[in-house]
Amino acid sequence: MSLRLIVLALAAFLTLPTAVVIAVSFNPTAILSFPPAGFSLRWYVNVLTYPQFQRAALNTVLVTAWAVALALPIGTLAALALERSRLRGRNLWAAALLSPLVVPGVAAGLGFLILAASLGLLRSRSVLIAAHVSLVLPFVVRSVWVSVKNLDPALERAAASLGATPWRAFRRVTLPLLRPGLFAGALFAIVVSVNEFVVSLFISNRVTEILPVAMFSYVVNYTDPTIAALSTLFILATFLAVWVADRYLGLGRVFLRH
Amino acid sequence: MARPVVELVGCTKVYGAVRAVDALDLAIFEGEFLALLGPSGCGKTTTLSLIAGFVEPTAGRILIDGEDVTGRPAHLRGLGVVFQSYALFPHLSVFENVAFGLRERRVPSAEIGRRVTDALELVHLEGLGRQRPAELSGGMQQRVALARALVYRPRVVLLDEPLAALDKKLREGMRDELRAIQRSVGITTVFVTHDQAEALGLSDRIAVMSRGRIEQLGAPREIYERPASRFVADFIGASTVLRGRAVARDLVTLAPGLTIRVAVGEALRTGEEVELAIRPERVRLAERSGEGTAEARVEGLVYQGSLTEVTARLGDGQRVLVSVTEPAPMRLAPGQLVHLHLPPEAFMVLA
Amino acid sequence: MKLLLAPAVVVLAAFAAALGALFRWSLLEFIPGSLRPGGLTLANFRGVLAPQYLDTVWETVLLSAATTLLTLVLSYPVAYALARTPSRRARSALLVLTLAPFFTGAIVRTYAWVLVLGNAVVTWPLPMLFTERGVLVGLVHFSMPSMILVLAAALSHIDPAYERAAASLGARPARVFWRVTLPLSMPGIVSGGLIVFAWTLSAFATPELLGGGKVKMIANVVKDLGLDSFNWPGAAAFAMVALALTLGLLAGLGRLAAGRAA
Repeated sequence: MSLRLIVLALAAFLTLPTAVVIAVSFNPTAILSFPPAGFSLRWYVNVLTYPQFQRAALNTVLVTAWAVALALPIGTLAALALERSRLRGRNLWAAALLSPLVVPGVAAGLGFLILAASLGLLRSRSVLIAAHVSLVLPFVVRSVWVSVKNLDPALERAAASLGATPWRAFRRVTLPLLRPGLFAGALFAIVVSVNEFVVSLFISNRVTEILPVAMFSYVVNYTDPTIAALSTLFILATFLAVWVADRYLGLGRVFLRH
Repeated sequence: MARPVVELVGCTKVYGAVRAVDALDLAIFEGEFLALLGPSGCGKTTTLSLIAGFVEPTAGRILIDGEDVTGRPAHLRGLGVVFQSYALFPHLSVFENVAFGLRERRVPSAEIGRRVTDALELVHLEGLGRQRPAELSGGMQQRVALARALVYRPRVVLLDEPLAALDKKLREGMRDELRAIQRSVGITTVFVTHDQAEALGLSDRIAVMSRGRIEQLGAPREIYERPASRFVADFIGASTVLRGRAVARDLVTLAPGLTIRVAVGEALRTGEEVELAIRPERVRLAERSGEGTAEARVEGLVYQGSLTEVTARLGDGQRVLVSVTEPAPMRLAPGQLVHLHLPPEAFMVLA
Repeated sequence: MKLLLAPAVVVLAAFAAALGALFRWSLLEFIPGSLRPGGLTLANFRGVLAPQYLDTVWETVLLSAATTLLTLVLSYPVAYALARTPSRRARSALLVLTLAPFFTGAIVRTYAWVLVLGNAVVTWPLPMLFTERGVLVGLVHFSMPSMILVLAAALSHIDPAYERAAASLGARPARVFWRVTLPLSMPGIVSGGLIVFAWTLSAFATPELLGGGKVKMIANVVKDLGLDSFNWPGAAAFAMVALALTLGLLAGLGRLAAGRAA
């Protein structure tokens, strides 16, 4: 049994659903059938004109932008602190910062909901953003930390010896050299936030809900291929993002060593 | 005497239980090339860090041009530092690396261009401004680091084992260039090294350090020919140390029947136990026994090309190191009996 | 320096506050028809011990275990190819294929399976949609990218010299794999398994959409209680169970992995 055959079969398994979704999105009829019985763009039109999706898309952009804008500096500072300071129990701090990753989504979601209710902030977008920041922060910290580890501390001393104040040394030397980690962190943060579903399901309502939640509501209530069209758009966007990331950031190098 | 450019007064630096620098006093004068020499852990790099302002002393003061700069952060001390790893900014070009200090000093762009070009010329790297540090060889990177530290004319330039990362041939070449550059610019230089040959060849004065203290401070020749302690004698160059008892103001008995004459300037106290050191190159092989010779049996021979290092044992069991310039005056073989001529004035009395 | 950690600590504090609220409400009495809770009580946790809820917990654990095993078996070949293929293009292609589902989110991926499994032609002879089998397929598919990446990373860190040494000693490729590669990749298997198991315990979207109300995992029950019945205290208790399971799993198996490494 050739390894190649097995891998091809598994690769097919991995991509089968994606292929089906894309095919169904062009189906002219409302019945979910595969293989599709024709070609039509009506579901794409539906996606782009459905007001709830439009609102949800806007919310997604808003929430993700805020979450990333907050998580990047917070995470960078934390990564620097973790690597540079002689903190006792540094590993404990690192574990704490990465802990939101292990908490079940429903637990975090319900917890934030109860917290918001207790504070009278039930319909607040701020709670949603805060939740996203806490969910996204571990990814940012992890990515930036890798870059910080590779930073030669002698460089900052050199900058100081040349007359740069700590702030200027950070801006002119440290920050540029952290760019790979920052980009990777931002990428992960965006992806996680855009796709965040469970926690957002608990703490958003129809006004504030983000795209995945809107999609979920739709799927539960309607059975036409609109979601297939939206999914296809999603898939296209992310394939592009991953391809770009691999090409320009060498994403493969992030995960594997050769 | 002129006021020193850099002065460390009673500086101590403690890390936990370790005294990296112990009540150090050091004065560095205008235009001199001073080496801080010692084995790893002796405190030489910590001393450099204290001067640069990367660490604060636990006790004591640091003065630059008479001004107390203790507590002043590194970026306000106006010194130049060349790091052991060069610490060139990988994301900036050679030009931008060298220009860094000038930009921090708000020097106008036109002038920056001129001065960077001059600095690169000084270190013989003209035309390489656009390259990235990663594209340059180790020797070139080191020169960029030097240019970067010198371009804004600091009061003092501090070098932390700058030649350590280079291979032997390159190191010797760079050593000479470094000295030439320092002389031409006339800048006060403090140079940390563990390589005594480097220190002897480059410096005006050497501070030999051990365990956070200066064992001896002086010109290279003085350090080499008149080591103040056993540590210095051992660390600088090789030497044979002989133990014996003074039986007259200029005679030392090593063992019954083995008495040697020494002429070290001061009289020895009769009856006193002494430690004498003599450099291997001062010991000569004599054809036959005579005035000032001692019998010894050859134990080991290490051929080094331009010389052979001979280890010989005296009658009382003490070992003597002899450097015999090749071609050797006689055939040498292990077990052979030789007569060692020990010039009285070649001896150094250790504390 | 420590000050740099402060903003992150604030974020962590907010998260901790959310979990604290969860914990607190799990111990408060549920008053039907009102969002206000009563006094302290263990009734919620006693409620968890009811047979239908215990069944859910048990089935969740079983399903997670099955998912982990199946994911492991299916991911290993892909990970091996990813780590060992010399061709850069093949590697890039595999990597994109593996990573892309990651980036498309739970809803999209689960919905795709709704379409596939709902189609009787594809899944003959067994009906898949709204069954445990279907949920299993969805969960495995969801977990494979993570497992592939972890395994590939572990495999790529194995010095090929080991395999060459085994071959030079006379071992056939299959033996080399069994006696050298597989054992050396054990740390990756353990950590990948841990990640998949922990995640699957709290899976929500997949069982919600593919289970169609018939297959319920712990997360689904939490949502039912919390968002449909507004029984926040009950939901909180159940969520605490999920949290405890996950943390217990990580602590227990983590210690096992550490002990093995020691």
